[in-house]
Amino acid sequence: MAKRALSWKRAGAIGWRDLKSAPGKFGFVVLSVAVGVAALVGVRGFSESFRRTLNTEARSLMAGDLSARIFHQPTAEESGQIAAMVRQGARGIRTTWVTETISMASVPPDPVPLLVSLKAVDPAEYPYYGQAELEPAISLQQALAGDSAGDSAVVAEEFLIRLNAHAGQTLRLGGRNFRIAAALRQEPDRITAGAGLGPRVMISRAALERTGLLAPGSRATERLLVKLPDKPPAGASAGTDTASVRKQLEAALPEAQVMDFREGNPALSQGLDNSTAILSLICLVAMVLGAIGVAMAMHAHLEQRMDMLAILKALGAGSGDLLRIFLLQTLGLGLAGGLLGVAAGVGVMAALPAVFGNLLPVHAVLGFPWRSALAGLGTGLLTTLLFCLPPLLDVRAVRPVLVFRRLVEPGPVGIGGWFANWWARRLQLGLSVVVVAALGGIAWALSDSAKVGTWFAVLFTAALVVLLVMAAVALRTLRFFLNRVRLRLPSFLRHGLANLYRPGNQSAAVLAALGTGVMLILAVYLMQATLLRDLRETASPKLPNVFLVDVTTDEIDGVKEFFKHQPGVNQAAGQALDLMPVVTGRFISVNGQPVEQLKGQHFPRRMLQNAELSWADAPPAGDKVKQGKWWTDPSAAELAVGEGVAQRLHIEVGSAVELETGGAVRALKVAAIYRADGQHLGTRVDFVLPSGQLKDQAATWYGGAHIDPRQVAAMERALFAAYPTITVINLADVLERIESVVDQITFVVRFLAGFSIFAGLMILASSIASTRFRRMREAVVLKTLGATRMRIVRTFSVEFSVLGLLAGSVGVVFANLLTSVLLRKLDVGFHIEWRATLIALVGTAVLATLTGWIASYRILGLRPLEVLREE
Amino acid sequence: MIEVRDAKKWIQNGARRVEILKGISLVIPAGQFVAIVGASGSGKSTLLGLLAGLDTPSSGEIWLDGVPIHNLAETELAAVRGRKIGFVFQSYQLIATLTALENVLLPFELNLEGSGLKRARRLLDEVGLGERVDHYPVQLSGGEQQRVALARAFVVEPPIVMADEPTGNLDSANGRMVLDLLLERNRRAGTTLVLVTHDPEVASCADRKIVLKDGLIVEDTLPCAMPAVRAGTVAEQSLEQARNG
Repeated sequence: MAKRALSWKRAGAIGWRDLKSAPGKFGFVVLSVAVGVAALVGVRGFSESFRRTLNTEARSLMAGDLSARIFHQPTAEESGQIAAMVRQGARGIRTTWVTETISMASVPPDPVPLLVSLKAVDPAEYPYYGQAELEPAISLQQALAGDSAGDSAVVAEEFLIRLNAHAGQTLRLGGRNFRIAAALRQEPDRITAGAGLGPRVMISRAALERTGLLAPGSRATERLLVKLPDKPPAGASAGTDTASVRKQLEAALPEAQVMDFREGNPALSQGLDNSTAILSLICLVAMVLGAIGVAMAMHAHLEQRMDMLAILKALGAGSGDLLRIFLLQTLGLGLAGGLLGVAAGVGVMAALPAVFGNLLPVHAVLGFPWRSALAGLGTGLLTTLLFCLPPLLDVRAVRPVLVFRRLVEPGPVGIGGWFANWWARRLQLGLSVVVVAALGGIAWALSDSAKVGTWFAVLFTAALVVLLVMAAVALRTLRFFLNRVRLRLPSFLRHGLANLYRPGNQSAAVLAALGTGVMLILAVYLMQATLLRDLRETASPKLPNVFLVDVTTDEIDGVKEFFKHQPGVNQAAGQALDLMPVVTGRFISVNGQPVEQLKGQHFPRRMLQNAELSWADAPPAGDKVKQGKWWTDPSAAELAVGEGVAQRLHIEVGSAVELETGGAVRALKVAAIYRADGQHLGTRVDFVLPSGQLKDQAATWYGGAHIDPRQVAAMERALFAAYPTITVINLADVLERIESVVDQITFVVRFLAGFSIFAGLMILASSIASTRFRRMREAVVLKTLGATRMRIVRTFSVEFSVLGLLAGSVGVVFANLLTSVLLRKLDVGFHIEWRATLIALVGTAVLATLTGWIASYRILGLRPLEVLREE
Repeated sequence: MIEVRDAKKWIQNGARRVEILKGISLVIPAGQFVAIVGASGSGKSTLLGLLAGLDTPSSGEIWLDGVPIHNLAETELAAVRGRKIGFVFQSYQLIATLTALENVLLPFELNLEGSGLKRARRLLDEVGLGERVDHYPVQLSGGEQQRVALARAFVVEPPIVMADEPTGNLDSANGRMVLDLLLERNRRAGTTLVLVTHDPEVASCADRKIVLKDGLIVEDTLPCAMPAVRAGTVAEQSLEQARNG
């Protein structure tokens, strides 16, 4: 092998000195890399810490060693089995039930009730791990013990704020009074309980029984918490370890969702993995933009160093030698950016809890995320190197003859020249394919999905190409108009606009990069705004906006009468209140196959073993029959099934099912498949039977009505006074809660997409810095010709702001296109959001102008002679 | 008239002070063509920069038509430069993103009111570029670019034109053409012309030749006879006064 003219050491020394010669320009390059790495390390580091917290505090987060959740009140048989399990063990195993439901509560004398998430615990047992933090700082047992005057409760601070109440006051729940003993600052197992529809109210189980809120069939979940002995008692053989107790629990409660602390919280872990993957890909966009920025800067740098390269080649250096210099430079820049990014990423990680707000049920204990830091650094280096390779290969085209004369003979022109140009760049083209493939690989690794990785690489590349084309078209269009009106424009404006076409400006690439960031943020915002608006608009006057939960059969007539006379209720078609009964039943077989053997239908078996059924002799409001025919005979041995469930269980019209309800097994045929509209009560259940099959059984009723929004509070007040155990869900409140969660989620996404904007701005800064000498010269020539500082400021500001406006336009157009396509897929109408569009445009222009001036620091203060003499 | 009173210029290079001009005094009367010559590093361009207000002296004074420009604020200095001095540089210094016409128009727009379009077109015609007004600098040869720079220097009809090696980057034919245009301006409009050059032939065409060496004037002569049109004028008297100290 031939000896290289330049050793690695010499190449490194040349590269290092070259880097030091333009600290400003390369400073922005380092920042471009750092932006993406910081975002990625922040997100993945936070996820790493969150997972560590879940693992180390798994018992506290569950409030026990194991938990079993069922969606009905435990039957006598189930309670017996649990008691037997504990007795049999006699080895120190302890258990307690926790009940969770929703209800209405008020604080007299204000009669307006509030929907609350009610939790009933046995304070002597609960929680086994962790503790409920109360204000004032008393124990939960003390707080829920009650006194001679009655029962007591603890409530979330949100409850106190919304009802303008304080500890010591009385709250009314289920027709009984409770003294508010304390504010609940934190409950250990909130994560397992999940987010409720209203603020938390916690009472003792004994008090819950006294309220009568739980009637048979009431909508409530029961969670059994199990605590294993700290040390297995002497003589204990087997049966007290987590695995065997879990088995016993699964046997005792076959329909239950059983979890033990070792799995953490599977739903939460899965959610964490999914969110980390999505957010990582958003960060990868910023990282790729940063890498493109480095590639652009290296390309511009190579062009500026043609003389040096030609000299080195004339002195005997080969292309490989020159490549070494620039490869080492790229690696150095990537490493510096990566390390800076890791440091900034730790800051991003620390900021994320504030960004996530109350989305997170657990306070993550943050530590230095070693794995994520290494992953971020490696990804940043790899991405930078990959994207820089194609431009670096240009060193092969440098001709030593440049030493003697600047102009070398041009190659062939016309179509032949075009092909020759592409052919000369075949290696770069091939490498670009490798880069896209590698991008897919990185996305795969970050999302843990080959499919996601592939789609990301393909779509992102396609988006970049489209944005680049849009940017080039925008620039050409502007030039077309500029050429026609330029002499009629004010001098500074004409000059500023002409500067967009300054040689070496890379305006199109800058526009595409900055436009990508704008597109990301705006598209997320447009989707959020449109979907939420759609959600609000579909709440039409004909549809129910108030729902009643847990109405007993005894209360039905009274409640119907109440709604007939309640002001503001839509009495159209004589149906003030739409009612639907719900009865529970157990499917024994589907299409002749026992339910226990049903596999792979993506439908939880427990939903069949504890199925919610309704009866109706005509399709309920909002349900549309898609296949078959609704029965006419109320005692027909038939049923109708919701479309989604039918698909998952492979049920068709004519399918046979066996169903046990009210102690009797019924063989039924599927008469109809229906689709619920999602806005009426019909959505609540997936199985509807003829009235003759169910109406004699004890049912829980649900109701829906449309009430003038201004009359809802009055209705709630009156209904709560008359029927304190009936829960009212106001759709407006639910929408508000959904909006607040969606706002919070999209804020997180926008926060991270902001890094892409920042990466785009760094590319702009780096591009401006790389043309710094041209700008300096221009500024001093202008000064020499009599221009004041203000005139130069105006000229450059026009250039930067128009660049920002164009980038904003490219991003805005693409964001709107993307949103309209996505919304069409969701069957949601699309309208241009003019205000957001305008803000995006002006905001990008302002940011670009600021960045431009930061990258042009000191230009205004230069003395003409010091620049002109450097020529 | 330009007057320089004991101007010195030095730069501090670490602990070392490098003296570029060591005390220059001279008077250039209106309408005179002065060639400043000297070896590389003798201080020619620095002196030109001081005369034009592109740089400030470390000590001493520079007066332009009775106005001390060595201590003017930047905005006022820009106004003086814009209205009174036209510049021609060795490397043309055209704005790459503006056409030839826009480059010529630029000083007019920066310093005067109204439209300078007709004047800019006329000047480009005069320098032989009437057909290339919409070309960008990159589309012009070196000689053509320098002729655009000349038109730009003349557009506000300044009383003084300063040129730093204006023929240094040109072949002899183009160099000659540029020099002729400068001389014609000097003779026809009475414009003061201060020209820095290495070229003895160019210097020999000047009314007055100032030779610099190591930051000092070592020779100040009149190589050509003064044109008759200006004989006995105030300018000559001022020159005489300057020579007598």
